[in-house]
Amino acid sequence: MLEPHIASNLIVLVLFGAGIGVGIFVRRNRLWREAFGELWRRRPVAIVVVLVYVVLALLDSVSWVGGVAVGEDVVSAYKARSLLDRAFADVQEASYSAPLAGAEFYGGALLDHPGRHLLGTDILGRDVLYLTLKGARVALLIGGLTSLIAIPLALLLGVSAGYYGGRIDDAVFFLMSTLASIPGLLLLIALIMAMGKSTLSVCIALGVTSWVGLCRVTRGETLKLRELDYVQAARALGVSEPRILVRHILPNLMHLVIITFVLMFSGLVLSEAILSWLGIGVDGSWGQMIDQARDELSRDPLIWWNVFAAGSALFGLLLAVNFVGDALRDILAPRTLREEP
Amino acid sequence: MLAYVIRRLGYGVIVVLGVLLFLFILFFTVASPDDVARRALGEKALPEVIEQWKANHGYDRPLWPWQDFSNNMLFEHYRRMLTFDFGRSDADDALITERLRQGVGPSLALTVPLFVVGISVGIVLSLFVALFRETYIDRLGVLLCVGGMSVSILLYIMGGQLLVGIWLRWFPISGFDPDPAVVGRFLALPLLIAVMSGIGGDVRFYRTVFVEETSRDYVRTARAKGAGEIRVMIFHVLRNALIPVLTRVVLAIPFLFMGSLLLESFFGIPGLGAITVDAINGNDFSTLRTMVFIGALLFVVGQIATDVSYALVDPRVRFE
Amino acid sequence: MKLGAVALLLVAIALPACTNNPYPDGDASEKILYANYREAPRTLDPAVAYTTSAHAITGNVHDTLLEYHYLKRPYELVPGLAVRLPQAEPRPGGRVAYRFRLRPDLLYQDDPCFSLGGEGRRTRSIVAADVAFELMRIADPAVNSPVIEPFSNLVGFRDFTRALAERREADEAFGALPVHEQYAALGGIEGVGVHGARDLEIVLVSPYPQILYGFAMPFTTPLPWESVAFYDGKDGRAHLADHPVSSGPFVLVEYNKQARMILEANPNWYGVRHPEWRAPGAIYPSEGESGDAEAGLLDPKLVGRALPFLQRIEFLREKESIPAFNKFLQGYYDASGIIRESFDRVIREEGLSPAMEALGVRLEKSVIPAVYYLGFNMDDAVVGSPGGERARELRRAMSLAIDVEEWLRLFTNGRGLPAHSPLPPGIFGFDPDYQNPYRRVDLDRAREILRAAGYPDGIDPETGKPLRLSFDTPDTSAQGKLRFEFYVAAWRRIGLDVEIKATNYNQFQEKVRNGAYQIFQWGWVADYPDPENFFFLLWSEMARSRNQGPNTANFSDRRFDALFLAMKSRDNDAERLRLIREMRGILEEERPWIELFHPEDYALFHGWLDGVKPAGISNPTAKYRDLDPVLRTREREAWNQPVLWPVAALLVLGAAVTIPGVVTFFRERQ
Repeated sequence: MLEPHIASNLIVLVLFGAGIGVGIFVRRNRLWREAFGELWRRRPVAIVVVLVYVVLALLDSVSWVGGVAVGEDVVSAYKARSLLDRAFADVQEASYSAPLAGAEFYGGALLDHPGRHLLGTDILGRDVLYLTLKGARVALLIGGLTSLIAIPLALLLGVSAGYYGGRIDDAVFFLMSTLASIPGLLLLIALIMAMGKSTLSVCIALGVTSWVGLCRVTRGETLKLRELDYVQAARALGVSEPRILVRHILPNLMHLVIITFVLMFSGLVLSEAILSWLGIGVDGSWGQMIDQARDELSRDPLIWWNVFAAGSALFGLLLAVNFVGDALRDILAPRTLREEP
Repeated sequence: MLAYVIRRLGYGVIVVLGVLLFLFILFFTVASPDDVARRALGEKALPEVIEQWKANHGYDRPLWPWQDFSNNMLFEHYRRMLTFDFGRSDADDALITERLRQGVGPSLALTVPLFVVGISVGIVLSLFVALFRETYIDRLGVLLCVGGMSVSILLYIMGGQLLVGIWLRWFPISGFDPDPAVVGRFLALPLLIAVMSGIGGDVRFYRTVFVEETSRDYVRTARAKGAGEIRVMIFHVLRNALIPVLTRVVLAIPFLFMGSLLLESFFGIPGLGAITVDAINGNDFSTLRTMVFIGALLFVVGQIATDVSYALVDPRVRFE
Repeated sequence: MKLGAVALLLVAIALPACTNNPYPDGDASEKILYANYREAPRTLDPAVAYTTSAHAITGNVHDTLLEYHYLKRPYELVPGLAVRLPQAEPRPGGRVAYRFRLRPDLLYQDDPCFSLGGEGRRTRSIVAADVAFELMRIADPAVNSPVIEPFSNLVGFRDFTRALAERREADEAFGALPVHEQYAALGGIEGVGVHGARDLEIVLVSPYPQILYGFAMPFTTPLPWESVAFYDGKDGRAHLADHPVSSGPFVLVEYNKQARMILEANPNWYGVRHPEWRAPGAIYPSEGESGDAEAGLLDPKLVGRALPFLQRIEFLREKESIPAFNKFLQGYYDASGIIRESFDRVIREEGLSPAMEALGVRLEKSVIPAVYYLGFNMDDAVVGSPGGERARELRRAMSLAIDVEEWLRLFTNGRGLPAHSPLPPGIFGFDPDYQNPYRRVDLDRAREILRAAGYPDGIDPETGKPLRLSFDTPDTSAQGKLRFEFYVAAWRRIGLDVEIKATNYNQFQEKVRNGAYQIFQWGWVADYPDPENFFFLLWSEMARSRNQGPNTANFSDRRFDALFLAMKSRDNDAERLRLIREMRGILEEERPWIELFHPEDYALFHGWLDGVKPAGISNPTAKYRDLDPVLRTREREAWNQPVLWPVAALLVLGAAVTIPGVVTFFRERQ
């Protein structure tokens, strides 16, 4: 049994390796290189913003046990803590304080770390900036894990339906129309209630509700690709089917996968916020912070920095991702993908 | 044509049957009937009371046909749903059909105006933005749209309630009264917020359609004939772009009946959305699966209607 | 430009119509009380309804033989439907009897169900047999009443339950009969005697003075058999659970759980038909406890007047607390609790803030007879009895780590009294001077105890890591999580690694059933003001694991059980106090609970509302309330002037941004 933090470190390592691999691939392949060059030319700011979020998420994903305990919390010395946790170690207060304040918001007791909380502290005295930055990992985890579930599923079913047709196509099409006819949010809620509340089950549920769009696109595209001359030629030459799928079909679907993933991302994070409001979201997400702020906005004087921090972080990420997604769509598939998934 | 309609209907029936199977797996195999009963009856319920409750709610049979072919929950589930005999709520024994009947009115009172206002405002704004394409107005418009899409609806609702309801006191903060004299007051604020939150995505989509349309030949012809920009937009572009716009719009109609989960809950509108949220919070599985079923049914019916009307307009569709 | 003009015109038309008044204009002059609720009650069946939201209806709709004096504290019983308070009459064999005599000429509300008793009949007299019928319903296992336990002291009560279940099991035809015929066939409960229309005698197996409180609860209201037979939920008829037939001051006229519940004054109520009786339940009282006069509760405009004052009560659904509270501030609800978040703007140093005083709002504080606690599952191997001395020390150390005053400061704005034993103030046996040695914060002592118990610095010697425990809860909300994290942080200071396991209700039940939980949080609100109602939560007969009882801690201690049984049915005398002290001592040492606090209720009322006194115990109180609709209308209008300049500002801004672009655009085109 692997300790969770070691597993997380390994995953980061694998992702890092995969990132380098993709980078090398992109540099070598002319088409992709040009596409990404164009993207960078069009949306440099948005890409930098997205990268900042990714770096934050990575900082919060690499963790190890050890080091001195944080304040009075002696257990923390035995717990895996990430780089981010360590950077924000020991900035605990007793309760609410406003951004950069020197005293508690209510009551006015002096803070232990006056002026150090850029975005204030929450009801338990935790630094809001810290909580907000930690939310980046959760958001990317929701997007990433869901894609890991939805994309392979959609590709597998979409490609086999499109390529083989017949019964398989009928079955996949039936599955798609069944799931698509259930109102999305209700399906999501039903799935999570059935599986119980956890990050994984939220991601599985989001995956189940979001693969249909991509599946429909890949199925349609595979149908077209199958009839293309070079695929027919490869078939006539007796190239094995797995080889045809891997060498000729899949690479030509990749741009669709990337576009769909980026466009899907903001929908996933926004759905999670709604789930948080229903009490079935993911712990530590911005959605949860916003949900908590439901009460805080009616305090007087009101506590605005919690919801401000979570709302801005969410807004910043989604705005950047939406811009990147739009640009990607224009570059990679100028006309085919106008409909939102 | 008739053959096409029959084929389409047949497929719709199969999909509905599939949805029901999915619901059965989801809801009947997850929470044991004993749990549901105990939650409804309280901690002190005696075993015989729980048995009685399970019998009343139809939870006292074996799950699958291979356990007992003539008396199992799967067939019973199908029978009940397909005959619209939804039975009683798991949470408080209320008749679900009765509850739905009460909820449809308030839901439609919110969603129908929302639908109409949302589309009109969306089309007007996107026409405006498309008219000024390639100017700063267009760029600002797109920026605002993408920005608007990146904000959680929770923030729209909380912010709107705080600003309009509490600080500016324009409308009641929450509540509902079907009395036509006052119902408008209650709907104004949720309507405003819902239009605000949805407008970004709509305008961006309509704008793309319109802008694409403006590059077509007939637009150039019209312009060459001396038609003004505004005239071109309204009488030529809008008319020709209506099909893709309507496709998007028509698919939303079935969901009007479902109301809006969040808006209804925050604003205390006793519609189907609020009922669904109650069912979620109260683990009321029988109500929840009824809502999911009805949603799916409306969607399937709506889609068949759309497809058939397309087939009427465009005969090629039938032979696809 | 035309569009802009049309928009301006629309705005100009809409603005004057702009109002935030949620009620029809005609209602402003009526004596209508507006209140709100979050969750509709599951049931209004008086034998079953148990929650505060249900009692807001059942308490005002169903009259009882006895009731609590509205103003006096400690709580004092006065006659309601009964002519006088019954006295205990000793009977052979250690039994005790009470005789109730009903008032003459009592009527139910007009209701179609009475046509069962004769064609065209609209109502009928309330008779003693109706109370006996309701007692039999409590005993009926199919009704599933939560108060079987206290009424089991009636002679023959359990026998009736058993006989009913057996007959139904053996004879299907019997089970198909209407319940009143079933009850009659069995001859009723032995210890409940009906003598004529107006006299009811109950006989108890042994002395149990608390039984009288039972006759002040809506559970024992007279219930017409017609309502049970008629409201069976068939052929479009309502369920009894949704359609109470009133014997009290109000009638439920509209019941839409999703939206609203409306009560109206009952013209058939004895107080309305016979004000000349000056019955204690139908006249505003003339004396109360000290401080009531200052609070305006003994105002001459109230005292001695016939009840009820209100024409109508509208309970409106508010799922979210913030809209509800803000509508109170706007004058659209007449009374409100204070939501935690708004506390700071309402209360300044124990009193109302100047802003609230300017609104004419009044504040009432009261301690609720309730206790909140953290419980340990005593069946658990690590924290429970099987862990022996070591687990006991662990529980003590954990108890010493929780700073409940800080918790109250953060989460309830200090509302609440730190608890040292299960008993809240106002309950016999509560001792304000008692200091539980394990209910203060002493981290050094806690660490010392842990070391002695073999968990040095919280380290579990078996793993070499901090001892891992789980805190189980069915509350998955973000707000709940914050509260639980407070405990976790506290325990981390003494080196214990407690994990919050928030699951949905079904999974939580599963865990409880399998005994797979360690620490949980729970609260208990008194049904009646007696220490027995708190200590039975730790009685081994009530254990969750064995008998599905409310003793979720599964605490089982022979000494405690013996003391409990001895204390249970005693009058409030010195010996009872001694027994209570001894039980308290056992809890102090054993620590099955970490007592947290007794909640305090702060309620706010607008200046136009009169005769309001908070009651911790569910009790019909709406009939004592009065309000001044003229003052209310005036205040509402003054407080709710809409702020309209932002509309103009927005229009100007929009025009300023777009007009230059529009102008350039058209200039270039031409």
